[in-house]
Amino acid sequence: MESEGAESSVPAPVEVFSSIRERTIAENSMVVLLQGLQGEVTTVDLRNESTARGRVISVDAFMNIRLADVLYRDRRDQLTRLQDLFVTGRNVRYVHIPDHVDIMKTIQNQLSKIHRVRNFASEGGGRKEFPKKTK
Amino acid sequence: MDERERKSVKSDSKKTETAPCSSSASAPEQPKTDSKPGDDDELKIDICSDKFDPLLALYSPTAPPLPFPNIKCFNNVAEYESFLKGGRGRAKPENVEKKRRKAMKGVADPERIERLKNLMVKKTESEEGESSSGTTQRKRKQRPQKNVLTRMPLCKGSPLGELYRCVEERIRVKVHIRTFKGLRGVCSGFVVAFDKFWNMALVDVDETYREPLFGEAFYHEKALTVSRLFEKLNLQEGSGGDEPVKKQEAEQKSSKHQSGDAKTTPKSCSAQPTSVKGDSRTAESKLLQEVETTQGKHKVSLKAQGPQTYGRVHTRHINQLFIRGENVVLVNPQPL
Repeated sequence: MESEGAESSVPAPVEVFSSIRERTIAENSMVVLLQGLQGEVTTVDLRNESTARGRVISVDAFMNIRLADVLYRDRRDQLTRLQDLFVTGRNVRYVHIPDHVDIMKTIQNQLSKIHRVRNFASEGGGRKEFPKKTK
Repeated sequence: MDERERKSVKSDSKKTETAPCSSSASAPEQPKTDSKPGDDDELKIDICSDKFDPLLALYSPTAPPLPFPNIKCFNNVAEYESFLKGGRGRAKPENVEKKRRKAMKGVADPERIERLKNLMVKKTESEEGESSSGTTQRKRKQRPQKNVLTRMPLCKGSPLGELYRCVEERIRVKVHIRTFKGLRGVCSGFVVAFDKFWNMALVDVDETYREPLFGEAFYHEKALTVSRLFEKLNLQEGSGGDEPVKKQEAEQKSSKHQSGDAKTTPKSCSAQPTSVKGDSRTAESKLLQEVETTQGKHKVSLKAQGPQTYGRVHTRHINQLFIRGENVVLVNPQPL
């Protein structure tokens, strides 16, 4: 998505969106849970009855998922190894969440990250005053 | 003016009178510095002492010591008089305070910040933990936070609110999952979180599903309807176990089988190899349950062997599962 409005000029880290629109969509939906899974190895069940198992690189607000180092099993159980796989959000049916991931905590962490970034961007000019006043 | 001169002369003379008493010198000059001992000089300059000498104080090189710090000094009596009357800018206690505050305007005052903080708390429910800085930021943060977690309880009174109740009360739900045409299967689990798209995060999930059909069977597959869905659901509940979780022509079959019509059963039997094998399996179960004719049993045994190659029903357990809302047909809270 193209960047809109008041953005931080710092190049965005992997976790953060570049557009406000995506951020708001993500914040108000369960996509934040999937974003919290970035870096984890998970299985994504697709709408076409095939499955892809790999490390989640990124998930955007529309649930488009980018995976790396993927074992793709099509519906005839034929295995294929792929370095990179991009799945359109609409084609996702399930995402298996690893057992060690706490769902509520992940959601809360992601929401706080979004909140922090949002305030950072909007406080642009006034950011310098923070340290003085808090001291 | 003459009187004043006389007065001053008088006072001078008085002082000159006193001076000779304390000292041996007879000269009536006021500024006596060297011959007098140091103490006397200080006393003369000291305003509070009896021996205060105003002329000496005026012409002395150093200023007389002030009895009180920050005392207000006036240039003449008239000035003092007007000050006493309370002219413009008189130092009333409140004025002094105002002037002090004005002088310290730029400096961040902890007391002022405290006052502002108290104001904030009264006005709105600020959910921000750190509330140390200025008022402009507060206005922005005053709106209550709206995110996926806060929106969950907001749905009360709507079907999603019912789903929220399942989250709160940890009610087991069965989620029907769809394939693009028809029902795929059922996921039974506890809802942890959901959103308006019906995306759901479930834990402790038992998924029962059927592989999709291909070819002829797919072609003959009947479209899923709500009534068929609930009939399938009732059938599933009635039979239990790992029954196929797919649609079937339950009405026709059940009516046929209940009538126990010999003619109809052959018909249905012949139709079944070409029809959805899920149907055949449900028909098989129905046959097992309801029809006790030898013909039926015979047919059942035949059919039992048939539909194993495709469209099998599977069950699996997944600890934590995320379901995209698009694939959800319905959510069925389980009675306790």
